[in-house]
Amino acid sequence: MESLVTNNIRQRPLRALVSMAGVALGVCLVMLFTGLARGQAHDLQRRSSNLRAEILFTRPGALGLTSSTANLSTKYVAELLKIDGVVQAVPAIRYVFQGNKGFGFEQVEGVDWQPYAEMNGLRIIEGRAPQANDEIVMDETKVRESQRTVGDTMGLFGGQPYKIVGVYAPEAEARVKMSLAAMQDALEAPSKCSYILVKVRDGEDPLAMAQRINTALPGNTIQLTRDVMTNIEKQIPFLGVFLRSLVVLAAIVSAFVVMLAMYTTITERTREIGMLKALGASRGYIVSVIEKEALVISVLGLAAGFVISFGAGFLIHRAAGLSFEYSWTWGLAAVLIGIGGGTVGALYPAMRAANLDPVNALSYE
Amino acid sequence: MKTILQAEDLEKIYHVGSVDVPALRGVSLDVAEGEFLAIMGPSGCGKSTLLHLLGGLLTPTRGRIVIDGEDLTAASDAKRTDMRRRKIGFVFQRFNLFPTLTAEGNLRLAERIHAGNSGSGDAERRREVLRLLQIESKMHHKPSELSGGEQQRVALARAVVTRPALVLADEPTGNLDSENSAIVLNMFQEMNYRFNQTIIMITHNPEAAAMCRRIVQMRDGQIVAPGGGIQL
Repeated sequence: MESLVTNNIRQRPLRALVSMAGVALGVCLVMLFTGLARGQAHDLQRRSSNLRAEILFTRPGALGLTSSTANLSTKYVAELLKIDGVVQAVPAIRYVFQGNKGFGFEQVEGVDWQPYAEMNGLRIIEGRAPQANDEIVMDETKVRESQRTVGDTMGLFGGQPYKIVGVYAPEAEARVKMSLAAMQDALEAPSKCSYILVKVRDGEDPLAMAQRINTALPGNTIQLTRDVMTNIEKQIPFLGVFLRSLVVLAAIVSAFVVMLAMYTTITERTREIGMLKALGASRGYIVSVIEKEALVISVLGLAAGFVISFGAGFLIHRAAGLSFEYSWTWGLAAVLIGIGGGTVGALYPAMRAANLDPVNALSYE
Repeated sequence: MKTILQAEDLEKIYHVGSVDVPALRGVSLDVAEGEFLAIMGPSGCGKSTLLHLLGGLLTPTRGRIVIDGEDLTAASDAKRTDMRRRKIGFVFQRFNLFPTLTAEGNLRLAERIHAGNSGSGDAERRREVLRLLQIESKMHHKPSELSGGEQQRVALARAVVTRPALVLADEPTGNLDSENSAIVLNMFQEMNYRFNQTIIMITHNPEAAAMCRRIVQMRDGQIVAPGGGIQL
């Protein structure tokens, strides 16, 4: 049977498309931003979890998600090794820079490869470890995403060419690593590092060891590696607030676009509303016709939003290496935004239509 | 014969800013079941206002309307809408078909609303009406694909398919040429004759009015002939 709802949508494809785009935009906002936040956070967490050192020793403010400094003397390595229970201490510099694709941040670490790899169970799976000051190694993901191979070069520190001499696995912290000496040289920070990874003796309680280190070397920052990246989402200030604000914004955008589109269509169809009233259609019936139309548009916009989100996430991952990880919770939020925004947005135009004066509506030009 | 419509002392005053404009000044009218009645009169005499009042699209300032035993004027807006759904069919000068639906879709929508948004209507009645109005072959055409005469026949079919107690037609031939006007008026007569359908038709056209069983003349918001009209 012919449906007034579907026929109206088919009759005005451009308006329907604009409405669907509004809903899809809201869905995309939610899915892409939350997917990116989760994907990047989990990517960092995964890489961090591969560290086998239990303690991270650093100076206050030396390590941030988007910046780092080499303000810790490597002399602390010897001091740490003197503490009972510390079996290994490996210094490292983390250098954070803006990605050369124009957005996002990338990290490079300078480490003494042999002790760092031994401590954390890393192995070279292709090529060899970095030795000279212009040599780097990468993990498999970085090699794949940057479409480089051993022997290629990569520009760092203002475009200086660094030769890729090896590929390592598993992934751990920064995807690109060079020797500590090379990094110190590049940053003109001799005898300095950003942090020192501390491996404690088997059976020692890491928390007790951290307290012992703090007592021996006060004024520094001592963190358990298991806590450092356990919840990046909580570490980024106001990320949760931002994401929730985004959801509200997306809902408002969807609702407003649908409301404007439905308001326009109600104005266009004023005489048809009058005809419905002349036929004896109740207010509830008129509201239901308009709400059903908004619902169909919302569901189609929702589907389009999901398809666009997944497609865009895939393309951005391919182009920029950013990770997207979608969650059912946020997916459900997107569904509620799409359906809720659309139907709530249509409510005012629907009520307005239901309350039109039939005689005026029938004489509307 | 059963009286299907009783209108008693109807007054309608429009408030335009601070000015009161009387459109009807004490109109009384009785219409028997199966009547085909024409209301004639010059522009602005209150014909359309009367039709809108009888159809429950407007409420009178004073007076009473009873349709098929139910008091329209005492009813709430929702109740008037419901009475319109159950008892009244409209035919307008501008056809007022839903442009996105086919002719059949327009009829089915009316049936659906009449049935309270459920059921698929009386297929036999629909076929009979369509056959009488000679538009069976046009059922799958949208209004834009139909001539004016065909559109008005679809509008008439939509009005009568739900067996309303009363069909109100507002200048149904006003947008048609003389040939199509004659066809449509014949169809009105056919509906009146075959289904004993009560019809009240507003018209400027004396030839159209002449096809009705009774003509009521209006002027300045009043029925000019005492007793409610001229019996032909």
